[in-house]
Amino acid sequence: MLQQLLKKLIKNSAGQTKFVMALIGLSVAVVLILSAVQLQSNYYELLNSKNNQDSIANFLVVNKALTDQNVGASSLSELQLADLKKQPFIESIGTLTASRYKASIQSNSELFPFYTDIAFESVPEEFIDVNTKEWYWDEHSNYLPIIVPNQFLDFYNFQYSFSQNLPQLTPQVVKMVSFKVTIQGTGQSISMNGRVVGFSNRISSMLVPQSFMNWANGKFVASSTNQQPSRVIIRTKDPGNPALSNYLKKEGLITDADKTRFSKYRQIVDFVVNISGITGLLMLSFALLIFSLFIQLTIASCKDEIALLILLGNAPKSLGKFLMKRFFTANIWIVLLGIVFISIAQYSLYSWLIDKQMMLSPFISIYTLAAAILLLLVIAWMNYSTIQKYIRLQQATK
Amino acid sequence: MKLVLDQLIPYSLKDKIGRSGSAIWNQTISFSQSKYVKVEAPSGTGKTTLTHLLYRVRSDYTGSIKYDQLDLKSSNDNELASLRQNHLSIVFQDLRLFPDLSARENIEVKRLLTPNFSSQDQIDEMAEAIGVSSILEQKIRFCSYGEQQRIAIIRALMQPFDWIILDEPFSHLDQKNIQHSVQLIDAACKKRNAGMIIMGLNKDDYFQYQKELVL
Repeated sequence: MLQQLLKKLIKNSAGQTKFVMALIGLSVAVVLILSAVQLQSNYYELLNSKNNQDSIANFLVVNKALTDQNVGASSLSELQLADLKKQPFIESIGTLTASRYKASIQSNSELFPFYTDIAFESVPEEFIDVNTKEWYWDEHSNYLPIIVPNQFLDFYNFQYSFSQNLPQLTPQVVKMVSFKVTIQGTGQSISMNGRVVGFSNRISSMLVPQSFMNWANGKFVASSTNQQPSRVIIRTKDPGNPALSNYLKKEGLITDADKTRFSKYRQIVDFVVNISGITGLLMLSFALLIFSLFIQLTIASCKDEIALLILLGNAPKSLGKFLMKRFFTANIWIVLLGIVFISIAQYSLYSWLIDKQMMLSPFISIYTLAAAILLLLVIAWMNYSTIQKYIRLQQATK
Repeated sequence: MKLVLDQLIPYSLKDKIGRSGSAIWNQTISFSQSKYVKVEAPSGTGKTTLTHLLYRVRSDYTGSIKYDQLDLKSSNDNELASLRQNHLSIVFQDLRLFPDLSARENIEVKRLLTPNFSSQDQIDEMAEAIGVSSILEQKIRFCSYGEQQRIAIIRALMQPFDWIILDEPFSHLDQKNIQHSVQLIDAACKKRNAGMIIMGLNKDDYFQYQKELVL
């Protein structure tokens, strides 16, 4: 009841239009800031979430750039490996062990004859993107499991098979084919059965289990041979991190250019996000200024009423609360509508990207919510301090 | 609630007070609760100034004004609000009503600060008693000064108080209305065991004063 009388006394005599303008300005600012936060978190999600753990994106195979100077000496030194390990953008590092012995594979079947010399590589299991129980080898195993790059199968199916008039093979069929693997070195030779157990997108080599590689490199290779790795695989949170590509460049290392191309995208995304964020912040400060001027104007135009209300025994604080409720309610609505707007935008983005095989959360991120709450706090503080200051001023002038 | 004035001198009257003697300015006086005090003040002696100082509309003075332990000058917002809600009531000479509210709303603004103390019915009863029930729903700006004066009186009686300050409250009322208003105020004071400080230009016998001072 008292509230109704106060409403009657403290009118928006400063003008409805100005109030609406201030609210619109504030809304645009809120939407810009929240969308900047949401874009940034979407970008990180695309890079880091489990669903998007694009094997290409997070694992990089790194080796020295071959030049005329280092031909034949392309292995990475202990020092270089240690330095690489220390970099903050690298989560873990695994060496790719190359086979130092001669190897060949040969078909077991008359129907489908083939023979080829081959070289293997091995890598710690945690870096392999094929999840299979068959990835195991010891000296008593019946066959040698092998992981083949997807590119090889594509090359065979879409180029080689046409030119040689051979049938195309599905991954399932390839996995069923057993073949003979022969290994030679230090005057010895051994043959065993081999089988493809999976296809990798991550590493473009014929992979064998580390245990097999250690065994074979020990048995068929003279101990004097250089066993330093030439290639390593690194795992990184963000292959688009410009610091990573700068480091590789500085150290004369290269990786798949396709992967570091992300760093360009990243810079562009950062740029767009920053522009949106800065514009939002600028608009926010102007909108807050307009809003606080509006509050001042409202209080100033009702100064007689406010002074008399205080004279009658209203505590300035409770009048402040009344005014706060009056102005801040609109602000809460603005932020809520901002959140709804961003949520709708996020959901549309999610539906749009899902067709493009990119998984994004259908909901806004926790950071966006936190930013919204922070914004509310900032606005509340601005409202509160303006109201208290100007109510006090009305009192002081009396 | 005891009211004590100690060496009170408003800045605006500093020069004047030195020349002419006063029973209040620059004196130490105390008023005990439930006493009726008449302050007789010829024009220009600072009658309204005193009213404003006692209600802390302004605080440009030296000396002190104390309601019990509460020093008016150093009181904070909340103490002041509580004093005005529960212990101190006033009828200003210039009435200070909200011109755009109706008479009833003007009274309600005050009553709703202490809503349990008096009821809406009491507004109607008092308005009936002093002849303003017909204008209760009218905007104050359309009421005559005499009607406004009576609304201001009713407003002052809506709250609990230990002291009521009246600054020429009957200046625009006829004898009959004065009499009714006096009865109303007297009853309200008696009911609350409250004291009264009434300012006037001349001697009068509206109430039975325990103290009569010349400003």
